[in-house]
Amino acid sequence: MADHSDHEDRVLCHACGAVWLKVADGLTCPQCQSEFTEIIEIPPDDAPPEPHFESDSPPVNPWESHNAWPQEDMPRAYGFMGSTPGSPRYSQHTYRSPDGRFVFSSTSVRGGLSPRQANTQPDLEAPMLFDSLGSIFQTFTNTAYNQRAPRGASAMDPFDTDHHGIEEYDDPPESFPREPDAPQPAAQPLGLVDLLESFRREHVRRPGRAGAHGVAGPNPLANPLAILSVLLNMDRNGDAVYSQEELDRVISELIDHNAAGNAPPGASTTAIQSLPKKKVDEQMLGSDGSAECSICMDQVELGTEVTVLPCTHWFHFSCIEAWLIQHNTCPHCRRSIDSASATPGSPTSRTHGEGTSENPVVIPDSPEVSSPRRRRRSSPFASLSGRSSFSRSSRHSQAQAQAQAQAPASPDPNVSRTRRSSGSSRNSRNEGSRGFTDWVWSRFGGSNN
Amino acid sequence: MSQKRIAKELAELTESPPEGITVELADEANLYEWKVYMDGPEGSPYQKGKFLVKLSLPTGYPFKPPTVSFATRIYHPNITNDEKGSMCLGMLRADEWKPSSKISAVLQFARQLLSEPMPDDAIEGRIADQYNNDNNRYREIAREWTRKHAMAE
Repeated sequence: MADHSDHEDRVLCHACGAVWLKVADGLTCPQCQSEFTEIIEIPPDDAPPEPHFESDSPPVNPWESHNAWPQEDMPRAYGFMGSTPGSPRYSQHTYRSPDGRFVFSSTSVRGGLSPRQANTQPDLEAPMLFDSLGSIFQTFTNTAYNQRAPRGASAMDPFDTDHHGIEEYDDPPESFPREPDAPQPAAQPLGLVDLLESFRREHVRRPGRAGAHGVAGPNPLANPLAILSVLLNMDRNGDAVYSQEELDRVISELIDHNAAGNAPPGASTTAIQSLPKKKVDEQMLGSDGSAECSICMDQVELGTEVTVLPCTHWFHFSCIEAWLIQHNTCPHCRRSIDSASATPGSPTSRTHGEGTSENPVVIPDSPEVSSPRRRRRSSPFASLSGRSSFSRSSRHSQAQAQAQAQAPASPDPNVSRTRRSSGSSRNSRNEGSRGFTDWVWSRFGGSNN
Repeated sequence: MSQKRIAKELAELTESPPEGITVELADEANLYEWKVYMDGPEGSPYQKGKFLVKLSLPTGYPFKPPTVSFATRIYHPNITNDEKGSMCLGMLRADEWKPSSKISAVLQFARQLLSEPMPDDAIEGRIADQYNNDNNRYREIAREWTRKHAMAE
């Protein structure tokens, strides 16, 4: 198939997905008559998939095909020549899609047939298993320490802009540059890092105003199904997906992340309850003498009790309550309802129990503005302990990161600024809210150096 | 609450519909699915076309945004070029939606988008490129599509 079409343009129909040769059917789709078509160019240097002596199976193990054996000669060292009949076979097969956007590779190891080989089989696999485990942890620690790692936490997670070490902060992290038209660099496999990352994000995504310490501290058992689904999702390999369904899933996941990530979080019940209420007076009705609650669009009469937000916009209590549970901003002007709480003693300030006079918790005026410079001191998540240990550590020296790792993560970024020593930062308050990620970090991150 | 507000908005839109827009319920018993007929704005390549737009309201309305999709095929940078005809409006994104936005405003905004596509916020990048670089060709195809799909009946 590749032989004769290599030098001929093919046309893809965006309406029905059909592909045909341009010379044969022209630019209009022969199937659905759509004119929404595109000529697909095929790079001349693109070789067809090499025929292989070994039938391919999709990788059963997400990291199997990438970098698990950094030394090229490793398979040979174990005698995996593959072509020798009867011996254990090691085969690697790479397929590059015609447009060069996807690279699939699979590696398979098959047990040998001869009795002698079969005897040594467990010994052969054991070092390789350890080797791949080792490289996973290598990746894990590299990512944590190296702030410029392309898939590192600091480059990927928008929330992490809030947690960079405050003094070391220099410029906003860039996303990994991509060349949309060129083949992507080989994707890193879905490894432990990704797993933990997604796990951590799961918590950061819904912090809520109720997220005072101890209430919504990271709970490793919060979503075991999410972990399971990551674990079971073995056919996904970094950026490469193998089926339309999988691609759709990835895309909708990205859309969901985006939507959930940008929307302001909900307000706590206490914050909602403590909003001032007021009877509608003539001044509020405005010049034309009539006004409506802009949520239910019902007219309000003089004397109706309404809830007034710090931005002075007002609504029926039941209306605004339903909105504030989901987002802590005014539905009209988007100002945070927490903005008043920066003033000590204001009715809502007690909902942020962590603030003290020497270490106030600053709440941003508009949480949806995501400029790192504005937010880095005033992150709504800055007071949540244990969620940012990866990125925070990434800005410190290794030694310090290690010290932090051995001690429980401190509940606010100021602790890392004052550089408390590892032993003394143990603090009874954060005992209950140490996250699973911290545990893993101290277990593996701390011992790997 | 959602039913009451939707009924109110529907009444308002039926009584005094915005220019070029008529609405009705797809099914009299269901307030949440609307059929909207939108006239192609004058001066746009969609002129003289009549587009059927489906508006779906979530049960969480007005706290969740409605979705707008073109049942009539249309060649436009901001509307998906498939049978779904999904329209991507900034104000309808979950993080930008305000419960104080009314359906009337959404529909007027959607119609405005027909006159003034937003290629920077496009969902069909190819059409957006064409809109930017070969506007005449874009208008030609859009007119052709309008003739083919939006003027038939």
